[in-house]
Amino acid sequence: MSEFEKALSTVFSVGTLQQMLRSATPVALAAIGGSMTEHAGIMNIGMDGMILMGAFFAVLGSFLAQSAFAGVALTLGVGLLVGLFFGLLVVRYRSDEFIIGCAINTFAVGLTSYLSRSFFGTAGAKGNPALPVLHLAFLNKIPILGPMLNDQSLFVYLTWLIVAVAWVFVYKTPYGFWLRASGEKPDTLRTAGISPTKMKWIASVLCGLLCALAGAHLSLGHLKGTFAENMSNSRGYIAFACVIFAAANPAKAYLAALMFGFFEAIGLRLQGYISSDLTQIVPYVITIVMMVYVVVRKQRQRKRTAKLEGPASA
Amino acid sequence: MKKLFALLLAAVLLLTLFVGCKKTDKNDKTDASGSTDANAAKLSLVVAGRFGDRSFYDSSKEGAERLQKEGLVQLSTIECNGENFSAQMQNAADKANIVVCVGWEFYDVATIAPQYPNVKFIWIDNATDAPVANVLNITYAQNEGSYLAGYIAAAMSKNHVVGAVGGEDSDTINDFIVGYKQGAAEYDAKNGATTTVLVNYTNSYDDPAIGKECAIALNDKGADVIFQIASAAGDGVFDAAAEKGFYAIGVDSDQKYINPDAIICSMKKEVGNSIYDAVKEFVSGNTSKLGTTWQTTLAEGYVGIGYGEDGSVQQIPDEVKQAVEEYAQKIGSGEIKVETTRR
Repeated sequence: MSEFEKALSTVFSVGTLQQMLRSATPVALAAIGGSMTEHAGIMNIGMDGMILMGAFFAVLGSFLAQSAFAGVALTLGVGLLVGLFFGLLVVRYRSDEFIIGCAINTFAVGLTSYLSRSFFGTAGAKGNPALPVLHLAFLNKIPILGPMLNDQSLFVYLTWLIVAVAWVFVYKTPYGFWLRASGEKPDTLRTAGISPTKMKWIASVLCGLLCALAGAHLSLGHLKGTFAENMSNSRGYIAFACVIFAAANPAKAYLAALMFGFFEAIGLRLQGYISSDLTQIVPYVITIVMMVYVVVRKQRQRKRTAKLEGPASA
Repeated sequence: MKKLFALLLAAVLLLTLFVGCKKTDKNDKTDASGSTDANAAKLSLVVAGRFGDRSFYDSSKEGAERLQKEGLVQLSTIECNGENFSAQMQNAADKANIVVCVGWEFYDVATIAPQYPNVKFIWIDNATDAPVANVLNITYAQNEGSYLAGYIAAAMSKNHVVGAVGGEDSDTINDFIVGYKQGAAEYDAKNGATTTVLVNYTNSYDDPAIGKECAIALNDKGADVIFQIASAAGDGVFDAAAEKGFYAIGVDSDQKYINPDAIICSMKKEVGNSIYDAVKEFVSGNTSKLGTTWQTTLAEGYVGIGYGEDGSVQQIPDEVKQAVEEYAQKIGSGEIKVETTRR
């Protein structure tokens, strides 16, 4: 095997695909949550802080009750509160969602660091009960796909279910229809006798819950019951990029998250062949490419509507 | 009423901004026994990252706390969380007599220190380009300690592939890596083996998940002993080691206790001890080290290999430990020169 072939086989290996799934899962869960708020017309950049809080409270619950599922329960409870809090400020008091999002991000860093030190000392939390890894013996008989999908943490599989449910919810149920209407044409929705405010509240809470799950996957699924201060490491912003790219379609957002996971995995495996400074920029380059696509798409849509509406109707 | 509530909420949010970078001014909390002398020098410990890495920064805090316990200084600490290095350094210098800056990032000490001629500065882990009258630079021969770690890694590797997960591609981190590689090469030369050394950088010191992925990526390429040099992100390396069944080597502090079955040893950098010794000298009136760079070495005991507390599981055979001991002496005596990326 030549040096180049060797490099190719390590870069494009089953390990790459496994990492793609692991790394994509927290981003995807947050992105599905972000899709909900996006549909409701709320620009939510607070997802990073929500993930961080989710990660911390999952570990805290796991530590206090010595059970990973108790951790998930606690973090869902806190996620609910965070969603309500976000709704209170953004929906009820109509504060600027951008500022509130920023505030939640900084608030989360401060709060989780403070609580982490109160409960675990400066050493941080580690080795608490973690979520189970599923081993499905029959999967290994399938080449590549089998080992890629097997032996993943519970939430990796749960995410597929959530993607499907979220997609059906948004596009196939009346609630999803109202949710989208609450963002696009709130007045029309109001005329139909349904409160757009209520839909916005629901979206905020769903986003809080899903981001909490994203955090729980990070600390209890991906890592074994570990919390480190600031560990969300901008995944919430990547999730936001996925939301915009996918036009808030949960299924497309999941694919976008997979793409990020894939390029992260490729980046790590390319190190040693090219400089780490270069591989580090890969996700950001992808973001820019995605945003260019979004702009092009928007312009096409604008042209199409212009055609439909005829010349100079505005 | 609503407005008041909104205002209150905003105030709470604002307050939490300061939680992360809080200053713990311990002077107020001095216990009744009066162990801290009111005239004791004021020491401010400024770290570039945050405590809780169970490694580099925590070690510096231990040293500073020991000084406080012995009544030599009044301690306050500042965590920069990766930003505002110069401003935090100035904040510290405004109040303290001795400012210890922990982290290679504090380059501005060269311009700030001259503004505070009565304050003594200690810069940990890096050195000013030219000597500054009131700055003592302390650097560590991490390359020498890593040489020993590299030797151990190569000796313990069954696949003859060993790995290192660095925090970022910088001079200080690479100083570990050149030593590590040279140590592995020495093992090869002595035993006629061919060991490949692979390196991945996390580009984050906070994110254990990415640290874990880096380690798994190296393990996929065959590495079965991995040295972590990435602060809290390196925690993920231990996670991966436990999960995938390979060995890990800890860094800065003796980290074996975190996972005694997966962590075979640690490359210790006694940051705390060096701070303790340097400040103690200042307090006793000996300031001859100011304006110089104190290059702490393996021979002085400021770097070395730790095998965990007495009684912990040991994976490394005694003959390897013995060889490590011999190499440590050879490095100490200057018989072996270890490459460095420090200036």
